[in-house]
Amino acid sequence: MSEHSLQSSQTIGIPLTHVVPSALEQDDLLLVAASKNGDQEAFAQLVQRYQRIVFNLVYRMLQHYEEATEITQETFLAAWQGLPSFRGDARFPTWLYRIAYNFSLKQLELRKRDRALQIALEAEKTLEQANDQQREDAELDAHDRRMLIQEHLSHLPSKYRIVLVLRHLQDMTYEEMAEILTMPIGTIKTHLFRARNLLKERIQSIYRDSDTG
Amino acid sequence: MRCKEASQQLQLYLDNRLTIEQVRSLEAHLISCNACREELIMFESVINDLESFKVVAEPDDLNEKIMRRVALAATQQAPSPSKFSLWRPSLLEILVAAALATVATIGTILQQPAIRSLLPVANGHDRLSLMFINLLHTLISVDSTTLILALWIAGTVLGVGITLIFAGSEMRTQWFKAMMERLPVR
Repeated sequence: MSEHSLQSSQTIGIPLTHVVPSALEQDDLLLVAASKNGDQEAFAQLVQRYQRIVFNLVYRMLQHYEEATEITQETFLAAWQGLPSFRGDARFPTWLYRIAYNFSLKQLELRKRDRALQIALEAEKTLEQANDQQREDAELDAHDRRMLIQEHLSHLPSKYRIVLVLRHLQDMTYEEMAEILTMPIGTIKTHLFRARNLLKERIQSIYRDSDTG
Repeated sequence: MRCKEASQQLQLYLDNRLTIEQVRSLEAHLISCNACREELIMFESVINDLESFKVVAEPDDLNEKIMRRVALAATQQAPSPSKFSLWRPSLLEILVAAALATVATIGTILQQPAIRSLLPVANGHDRLSLMFINLLHTLISVDSTTLILALWIAGTVLGVGITLIFAGSEMRTQWFKAMMERLPVR
């Protein structure tokens, strides 16, 4: 899978709260109000501001570049159409994330229904190849382990994947995640713990295999 | 602190969700327990790997694509100019159309000499009719070009008037504004 990545200085591991300080929040409110009145230029500014973080969230959920592009478009289109119902109870990016997450889930459901989908098969094949490769190796280096985590991440249940993406790729707090996913903080914590445990156990099992093999 | 309790707190520790007392107690346990320390290192390594994923660049034309779809949706969402809207005139427009229709009907009726002769005016013998007939004769006899010009101007004014009636109030306002802007004097 090709990574269309940027320089590390542009990594997304910056807290969203830092990316969007209060001045920007105020600006968001103005742009949202203008967009509600049909101002497409104002909405284009919101798209410009949030398309990267939305795209990355969707991409990490779907692990497929073209699908992520399509779902990001769907997300913003739904946001535009749903603007009249946006009352400003949550921050605009939080609301946007929620839409993006729901669309990603829908897309994953569609994939599930269509078992013959090429992407799923390819992803599975890649994972098996990666596992075999890793077992053959006496030692795992950092790069391999990262690749492995990436592969395992794409095979975790979506409820676990989303909390890992939000927590470690978007550096969100439990409270922010709870708001986006409309779940109690306790559930967020449980999902996060299980998700990290699963990743850890998989890495450990590969370590064990490479030690015994 | 027991290993079981420490193990439960490791992830909270990494997420900075422990109190200072809990942190102290856990760190004291970690110093003396190799197994828990290894578990912590493993969690740290998983988290570091996750956080080392680079941001993925979206397609260059993503914004453009989104806004194209938004513009399309906006067109569909807008109070759709119904195809019958042109045929939904305002009260004033109805009155003007009714007046024009009445004039046209009266004109057709008056073409009948028998009916016209019964009328006190426009019967062909009264002062008004004679004046109109004289004017027509003058126009024809003086210059046919003048007559054509007069008819052309009248036709144009009538055409513009009818178009504006059916174009709707918004179009009329725009037209009027555009005309006023082009006037050499204000």
